[in-house]
Amino acid sequence: MSILVNKESKVLVQGITGTQASFHVKRSMDYGTNVVAGVTPGKGGSIHLDVPVFDTVREAVRETGANASVMYVPARFVKDAVREAAEAELDLCVCIADGVPIKDMLEIKEMLRGAKTKLIGPNTPGIITPGEARLGIFPENIHRPGRIGIVSRSSTLTYEAVIETNRAGLGQSTVIGLGDDMLIGIDFVETLEKFMNDPDTDAVVVIGQLGGTYEEVCARYYKNLKEKKPVVGFVAGNAVPFGHKMGYAGDVITNGHVTAQDKQDAMNDAGIIVVNKINNIHAELMKLFSAHD
Amino acid sequence: MNIHEYQAKKILSQYGIVIPKGMIAYTPHEAKKAAAQVSFRGPWMLKAQIQSGARNKGYFTDKKAGRRGGIRLVRSRRDIMPEAEKMLGSTLVTVQTGPKGKQVGRIYVEAFAKVRKTFYASLVIDRMIPAITLLVADTNDEDITTLAILSPENILRVHLDLITGASPEQIQEVMEFLNLEPKVAKNLETFINGMHQAFVDYDAVMIEVNPVGVTKTGQIIALDAKMSFDNNALYRHKEISVLQDEYEEEDRELKAAKYGFQYSEFDGNIGCIVNGDGIALTAMDLIRGRGDYGTACFLNVKGGVDKDKIAAGIKIIMTNPRVEGILINILGGFLRCNLIADGIVAAASEVGLNVPLVVRFEGTNKDEAKDILEHSKLPIIIAEDMEDSVNKLITAMEESD
Repeated sequence: MSILVNKESKVLVQGITGTQASFHVKRSMDYGTNVVAGVTPGKGGSIHLDVPVFDTVREAVRETGANASVMYVPARFVKDAVREAAEAELDLCVCIADGVPIKDMLEIKEMLRGAKTKLIGPNTPGIITPGEARLGIFPENIHRPGRIGIVSRSSTLTYEAVIETNRAGLGQSTVIGLGDDMLIGIDFVETLEKFMNDPDTDAVVVIGQLGGTYEEVCARYYKNLKEKKPVVGFVAGNAVPFGHKMGYAGDVITNGHVTAQDKQDAMNDAGIIVVNKINNIHAELMKLFSAHD
Repeated sequence: MNIHEYQAKKILSQYGIVIPKGMIAYTPHEAKKAAAQVSFRGPWMLKAQIQSGARNKGYFTDKKAGRRGGIRLVRSRRDIMPEAEKMLGSTLVTVQTGPKGKQVGRIYVEAFAKVRKTFYASLVIDRMIPAITLLVADTNDEDITTLAILSPENILRVHLDLITGASPEQIQEVMEFLNLEPKVAKNLETFINGMHQAFVDYDAVMIEVNPVGVTKTGQIIALDAKMSFDNNALYRHKEISVLQDEYEEEDRELKAAKYGFQYSEFDGNIGCIVNGDGIALTAMDLIRGRGDYGTACFLNVKGGVDKDKIAAGIKIIMTNPRVEGILINILGGFLRCNLIADGIVAAASEVGLNVPLVVRFEGTNKDEAKDILEHSKLPIIIAEDMEDSVNKLITAMEESD
């Protein structure tokens, strides 16, 4: 097991014929990911990286039974790509692109309300279940199969967290980058919920950062859980001084300027083990798992 | 991207929002002419056009500007020119500009609008819903941020529908919250839905009108206006992109943006090159608390995949005079480490490498990257993890002192 993707997932790639897409899809295939189809409008009927290419997602799903998508389409086409994925009722779509306009994301969130399809991203390295499936751009060579779940808003810090679990002599069940943008698809709560119910995950590492109140909401959810697995948390951004800004609306919406410390406090209060340095994650994981033995 | 008050007001006025009559002036002479145009006998408001809030409570660093803030009421026509003279070319410091302040290059000359009551209004995205959200408050001259912290219940939040804006019930809710007279209702609706439509049409991320004035006759007037736009959507709003005030952006920031990178400056002495926001924040956290060391700037090359662009970005850091040491932390996923290595070598051979440089690579193509650096024979120090990279850099900087 694992969450959201595994070796059974039938993956289609939206925008498969691009240069960057080809590079990463090939790596994903070499890694063992079950890539069954590609979609590039106008290139239907051709074969790319040994899989059939279709003009539409719907067609690809009908012909191959694909149930998850990873999209390598440019930011301005993301809205249409997600709509296609949702209309074809895929379980999951992963959007790598950064720079998706916020208004497009508002429309996407509206579109996905009540839909079957879950979105990861945009601006994410994707999702990887080590040894089984890689949907995105993760440096797969750093991952090891194991029993720690990782969820992060920051792409690069996801990799740091992976390295930390390795240092602790542990591996990862599934690793998810939620995405660096203001508006994202699935959030900490949805992901944590899945990890809590996954029999193959023993503990979770949560990496937050400044901006919004996703971490506070996550902490509140965790605090109220009846049965819970241990969570180790880190929040980036304590050294950030007040930047140049204009207007107050940003602070008003969160009832004041929210700091990384505020987020850490909320996590602490919820019973999450908070580390001040990302390099301390491995030590906390080791404490947790030597105590269990 | 931000625009100036007078530009934001012009946009809002196209949506039926009432604004005081005003004109922009770059010289004292233009200010005098503008004053005559916007009002026959005054009084007038002279408003420094810098992209910052709290201009009224700000102060000028220049002696000639006098003690008053960046928003000045002028009652007599013959005082317009001298007052404009004081403000133009002077540097205004506010709580939002930082201690360096911003030089005032233009002032907005406006007819003074007599109002009975004022309130705060803004539109912003509440990302937790998510929805475009109207915030209103009866500030009673209290600072809106103070209100947000001490009594958030005094700020009303209304989540607006992306397509239809505020419903009649929501308008009524705002009416009651602000204790407005019934005759204001129609104008309030025009005001709120005008703001909302402008927000949607122009891909704004923030519109703030602080204060909004209500006149004796029930008219609603935008006495100030701030607008920020989504940089990622500027490609579909050429008419907004041209309003970019290059003075408001740091020179190096602009250069970095041209290559698709993000660049920010602080007051320390270490230049950081990273490939993500999270890693930038974490590197800054590690550098802070190390005695005399702090972050001078960071360059986020994001998922850059073009070697020449990366070299250009690295040059921006290398030519920042504050930088006494360079820290490069790359966790390659989409970005391939070897491209960064090529970029470092290209930049160093062009502008020279006079300060210690520590590199830490992890992820996609990291071994190729290390090979490239080793073959270059440049005095580059390679580190194993993020903390190690900070330690090695600080040691090298201490030695080079």
